[in-house]
Amino acid sequence: MPAVRLLFALFLLAQLAPAFGQSAVTGGTGSSDCIIGCDNAPLSAPDLNKMGSTGGAAPPPAPIAPTVKSPTRSALSPISEMLGYVVSPFLLQGAWLAVEIAALAMVGGMIMGLGLALLRISRLAPLRAIAWFYIWFVRGTPQLLQLVFIYDALPPLGITLDTFTTAVLGFALNEAAFSAEIIRGGILSVNRNQAIAANAFGMRPFLTLRRIILPQAMKAILPGMANDVISMIKGTSIASVIFVNELTFRSQQIVGQNFKFFTVFGAAGIIYLVMTSAVAVAQALLERRFNLEIDRSAGRGSGFGSLFGFSLFNARARERQAPTLAPSLAPGPQTLAPPESASLDWIRKVTAGAAEETTIEPFVTFRNVHKAYGSREVLRGIDLEVRKGEVVVIMGPSGSGKSTLLRLVNHLEALDWGEIQVEGKYVGYRLRNKMLRPIRDLAKARAEARIGMVFQHFNLFDHLTALENVMEAPLRVYGEPPEKVRTLALNLLAAVGLSQHTDKLPHRLSGGQQQRVAIARALAISPRLMLFDEPTSALDPELVGDVLAVMRRLAEAGMTMLVVTHEVRFAQDVADRIVFMDEGLVVEQGTPAEVLRNPKQERTQRFLRMVEREAEPIV
Amino acid sequence: MKSILSIATAIAALVFHVLPAQADAGKCEPDKLATKYPGLAGKTIRIGQDGESPPYSYRDPNNFDNLIGLDADMARAAFACIGVPVEFKTGAWSGLLPAVIAGQLDVMWDTLYYTPERAKSVDFVSYMIAATGGLVAKGNPKSIKSLDDVCGKRATAGLGTVEEAAFRDLSTKCVAAGKGEISIVTYPDMPGGTRLVSNDRADVLMSDLGMVNTLVKNNPDQFDRGFMIITNFKIAVGYTKDNKDLGQALLDALTILRSDGTEKKLFEKYGVDYAISQPSEILTK
Repeated sequence: MPAVRLLFALFLLAQLAPAFGQSAVTGGTGSSDCIIGCDNAPLSAPDLNKMGSTGGAAPPPAPIAPTVKSPTRSALSPISEMLGYVVSPFLLQGAWLAVEIAALAMVGGMIMGLGLALLRISRLAPLRAIAWFYIWFVRGTPQLLQLVFIYDALPPLGITLDTFTTAVLGFALNEAAFSAEIIRGGILSVNRNQAIAANAFGMRPFLTLRRIILPQAMKAILPGMANDVISMIKGTSIASVIFVNELTFRSQQIVGQNFKFFTVFGAAGIIYLVMTSAVAVAQALLERRFNLEIDRSAGRGSGFGSLFGFSLFNARARERQAPTLAPSLAPGPQTLAPPESASLDWIRKVTAGAAEETTIEPFVTFRNVHKAYGSREVLRGIDLEVRKGEVVVIMGPSGSGKSTLLRLVNHLEALDWGEIQVEGKYVGYRLRNKMLRPIRDLAKARAEARIGMVFQHFNLFDHLTALENVMEAPLRVYGEPPEKVRTLALNLLAAVGLSQHTDKLPHRLSGGQQQRVAIARALAISPRLMLFDEPTSALDPELVGDVLAVMRRLAEAGMTMLVVTHEVRFAQDVADRIVFMDEGLVVEQGTPAEVLRNPKQERTQRFLRMVEREAEPIV
Repeated sequence: MKSILSIATAIAALVFHVLPAQADAGKCEPDKLATKYPGLAGKTIRIGQDGESPPYSYRDPNNFDNLIGLDADMARAAFACIGVPVEFKTGAWSGLLPAVIAGQLDVMWDTLYYTPERAKSVDFVSYMIAATGGLVAKGNPKSIKSLDDVCGKRATAGLGTVEEAAFRDLSTKCVAAGKGEISIVTYPDMPGGTRLVSNDRADVLMSDLGMVNTLVKNNPDQFDRGFMIITNFKIAVGYTKDNKDLGQALLDALTILRSDGTEKKLFEKYGVDYAISQPSEILTK
C-alpha cells in the first residue's frame, strides 16, 4: 500500500527530527536561551496543572524572553531551528488537540449534517423550514460567537461544559450546517431514477439511502467534505477564546515571548501540512473507493500515481483492451449462451410462483382509474383486466398515459380515483370508509406484491456490478440467504446471456446488456407480474433483438406481463392482447390480429402507420 | 521624569498604606484555609491568563509547558499563601473576562484594568496602577513624544482595551483641534501589534508600560519607547462577582506579599518598576 508507505516515511521523519533538532538547537554555549530539548533545562520545572499551592517553586532564573542577539542563536541555521520547533512536544500536543477536536466534531457534524440534509429534502414543509432555518442561522453567525455562547452563556442556565466538550460541540454544530448542504448537493446529484428503481423493488427509504443513494453521492460529497476537515483542523485556533490551547495559539504564545514569528509559525505550518496531507491522502483513497471509472474487476492498487489522479495512461491502456473484454456487443443468438434448455429451465423455475394456480381471476383489474399531474389529466378512467399468464401490450402515442398506468400498478405513483387490484389485493392501500387510503409502509406493500419492473432507461444501480444489481433486492429486501441469492443471480444472468459480465459495472455494458441485467434483476424477486416500461426505446436498433428475445422466452414460460412498447412485431408475435391508449383512455383493445391488422379506430390507424414507417429501415 | 514619578508614587504608597498595612498584615497560614475562608476549602482555583504578554504572563523559554511572568508568579505566591491549589488556563485575552463572568474561571489575573463598567460584571482586588507606554519604531521616525503627537498618525492598540478607547477619544479631540484624525488599527494579540509597528503599518502602539519596556529591551534595534504615561487606572485581579471569601483571601494574601517583600522581589525579577505597585483594595463598584 503506497499510502501506508508515505505515512511511514512521515513517521520516520518525525522520529529522526528530534535528534537533528536537538543537536542543532543545543549546540553552542548560549544554552540559557535554548528552546527545547535542552539538556540543562531545569528538570524541576513545575507542571502548571498540578502545581497547586507550591507557589514557591520559582521559575528558572532567565527572567525575560531570550534576546535575538545571542551569538549562538544567530549562528544557527534557521531551518534546523524551525525543525526543532516542528518536533517540540509543546507544539505537537497542540496539533494533536486540534486533530482530536476536528475528528470528533467532524463525525458529529457529518451525522447531524446528514439528518439536516434529509430534512432539507423532506416532503414536509415544516421539517424543511426547520432545517433551512438552522442552516441559515449557523452559517450566518460567527463561529467565535457560537463558541463563546456555548462556553459562557450556558452556565447561568445550569449547563456548564468544559473547554474540550464546548469545542467539539461548537464545531460539530457548525459543521452540521455546512456538511448538510454538501450532502444535500451529493444526494441531488444522484439520478432520481436510481431511487425510483429502488422503490419499485420495495426498498425502504433508509435502505435506499444507505445502499443506493449515498454510495453514489460520495463522489460529489467527498471533495467538499475533505475541504471542511482541513478548514476545521486549522480553524480550531479560534477556540483559543474558550481556552483551547491548540497549535496556532501555542505558536502565538511562543512568538509572544521570543518574537520569532516566521520561525515558529513556519514550524506550525509544517505540522499543519503534515496533518492536512494525511487528510488529502485519505480523501484520495476514499475517492478511489467510490470512483466508478476504476473497474473493480481490473484489480486494485494499480500504482501510487493513480491515487492522485495521474492514472490517465493506465486508463487509456485499459480502454484499448475493453473491446476484447466485451465480445457480446455484437447481436445474435450466440450471445444468449447457454442457449435453450438450461436457461429456459431457469426462467421456468423463477416464474414457478407466477405459474401457480390461482383462484383469483382476473389477475390484475383496473377500475375507473384516474390520475392527474396538477391540472393535466393523464388518465381519465381506465378499465382493464389482465388474466393470469397473459401478455398484454399497451400501445399508444406518447403522452397517452401508458407509463403512468404501469407506475400505478406497483404504487410508484398514487391513484387519484378508482382502484387497481393485483391478485385481489390493493398494493399499498387500505379501504377505509369506502375510500382507498395509502398505507404508511409502502415499501413493505411493494415488496409483498412481488411485481418486477423494467424501465426504459434500465435504472441499474450504477455503483453495483451486474451480479450485485441482481442480488440487491433478494438480499436486502427479502433477506434471503446470500449463497442462495448468489446462485440464483448467476443463473439468471446466464439465462439472459451475460455469464461473462457478472462483475462489470453497468457503464461498462452496452445498453442491450444493461437492459438484460435489469430483466434479470426484476426476475430475481420471483415476480408474479412483470411490468415493462418501453424496455427497448432507449436502445440502438441492433441491440433490441437480444432484449426482445429474453422477453419472448419469459412470455413462453407463462409470466404475466404488462408491456408498454412500440415494437409492432414483438406485439404481433408475443402479445395475447393489445391495448391501444390515447389521451388517457383505452381507445380499443383486442388480439394482435384485430388491433394491428384491422384497427377500428381512426386514431389507432394513424398511430400504426406512423410506427410502421419508423420501423421500416430496420425490418 | 520617570524617576520623579516613581519617587512620588513610592512616597504616596508609603504615606497611604505601608503603616496600616503592616498593622493588619498577618502571615501566610495555608493550613487554616478551612477556618479563614471556608468558601474556598476543597476547591481548585482556575486562573485565566493569555500566556503571550511578557513580562506579565508568558511561556517559560526553557520549558514551554511552564507559565511565568509577574502575574503568573504573583498568582502562584498569593494562592500558596491562601493555601488553595490552582490551575492555570490559557486562552485568548478577550475570552478571559467572559469566562470569569460565566463562572468557567474563578480569577482573571492578566493585566486587567479595573473600570466601573467592568465592575458591574466582576469584582476586583487591585494591586498596582497602570502605566502606559507608546512603542515606536527605532529612532522614533515620526517623533511621537507624547499623546498630542499622535494626532493625524497611524496608531494601534489591542482590541477592546482601554488604550483603544483612549485613541478613539483622542482622535475626536484631534479633529476638534483641527489636527487630523487618528487612523486606528486594532490587533488581536501583542505579537500581531508589534508587527504592525516593525512593518511600518502603524506609527505607534500603545500598551501597558511593562510590556512596552520589555519589547524595547528585547528588540533594541527595532523599537524605541516614544512616551510613557502613568495613568490612574488600577490593575486588578478580576474574580467572580460576590465570591466574598475569594476576594478577602486575595486581599489578605496580596497585603502579606507586599509587606514581606515577596512582591518587590517579583517586580524586580521581571524588570517591572516597583513604583507602580499599590496597596490592594477590593473594588466591587
